[in-house]
Amino acid sequence: MNEQLKVILEVLIFMSQDPLTLEKIKEVVGEVPEEEISAALETLEKDYSTPDRSIQIVQSGGGYIFTTKPEHDQWVRRFLQVEKKTKLSSASLETLSIIAYHQPITQAEIAAIRGVDSTYSVKTLLQKKLIKIVGRKKAPGNPLVYRTTERFLQYFGLNSLDELPKEEEIAKILEEEKQTVS
Amino acid sequence: MEPETPAEPEVQEIQQAQELPSNLPPGWPVEQGYQVKLEIFEGPLDLLLYLIRKKKIDINDIPIAVITRDYLDYLERKDQINLDREAEFLFIAALLIYIKSQMLLPREQEVSDEEDPRKILVDRLLEYQKVQVACTMLREKEEDQLLRWKRTFLPPVAKPDELDLLEVSLFDLAETFFLIMKRKERENFRVIKGKDVSVEEKLKEIVEHLEKNGQIDFLEYFSSQETMEEALVSFFCLLELVKNHVVIAIQEQLFQTIRVWLRKDRVHQMPHGHSHE
Repeated sequence: MNEQLKVILEVLIFMSQDPLTLEKIKEVVGEVPEEEISAALETLEKDYSTPDRSIQIVQSGGGYIFTTKPEHDQWVRRFLQVEKKTKLSSASLETLSIIAYHQPITQAEIAAIRGVDSTYSVKTLLQKKLIKIVGRKKAPGNPLVYRTTERFLQYFGLNSLDELPKEEEIAKILEEEKQTVS
Repeated sequence: MEPETPAEPEVQEIQQAQELPSNLPPGWPVEQGYQVKLEIFEGPLDLLLYLIRKKKIDINDIPIAVITRDYLDYLERKDQINLDREAEFLFIAALLIYIKSQMLLPREQEVSDEEDPRKILVDRLLEYQKVQVACTMLREKEEDQLLRWKRTFLPPVAKPDELDLLEVSLFDLAETFFLIMKRKERENFRVIKGKDVSVEEKLKEIVEHLEKNGQIDFLEYFSSQETMEEALVSFFCLLELVKNHVVIAIQEQLFQTIRVWLRKDRVHQMPHGHSHE
């Protein structure tokens, strides 16, 4: 285990304003084999995961980042003098999850699944930078096509889109619900 | 629940009609009069899913007559239908009625699963149900993440008393100048005796003023000038000073006053003005 590398990585994560990506680390530390970096990151993550630590290192939005624990939320808010963070409205969340699972997707396709017009939700999500326009579809009217952003991943604490709840998990829950109903 | 057969609906509907009020969710406006309007359902599929769950029906096997009845009942309870908003609800209602009519038609052959008119609705509902589950799971993640602070989510640190200063172009200066001149014009005063002001004198005066007071409020200074001519000369002086890097002029917002400071790195040599004759 490369102790010095671990310490350097800790510094880099601390200084990074965005989730620190592996590419960025490689750019900085240079000629270090990737396995060594991964091993150091893993140890570092473990070091921080002990209960006596108040700060954790997590993988979110495609990189490593420091985060506080839920139980300290009120202290952070008192310090920053901010209100409790607001949740997404259910319409926005519904729209967002449709985009997440079906991206790239157009507004008409979203509306077809939801059964309601989703213009407003899409606008809100764009403003919050949770989704972005990635182009136009080669279809009548050339509608805009949407995708989720890095910020979306960070917002839900996901490292990549692969970490979204899987189809099988969803099917399992539906099955359980069915059991309880009948 | 038994699959619906064309013969049964009549009986079922009557029973349903009697049962209905007790099946409604709490807060459902039954009585007329004062009502608090709450959007209980996000959309028509949401409502449909609710009705199906309430009756403990398997989505794959919807008794269309029963559900249609409840669905229409909900729409009727909305005392006003806003077409723009409720068009989707009406669309599903129409779809339900269409399916119902299809199922009532006598057929020579048993319909295969693929041709079941309910299929279109079932597929949509199943897809929508998946979305709902995904939403619940994402909501849990969201709630957890909202309590975890990261440096990336820090609100931008902005002190309210810190102003955004922006350096102005000569064009802005001129614009502000003419704005003031216009104001002066409106004052409609007459000059009886002109005082000769030279650019050189004025330059000296402005620099001295700046050295003494640190800064000049452009608007104030120029409106304090006695005559149009003097104001005009002051303005030329200011332009001259800016050009020669003696002063710096800053405007906080367009059309607001322009503040003038001496430059720290100014050349102490005074610019040579031409006397104004």
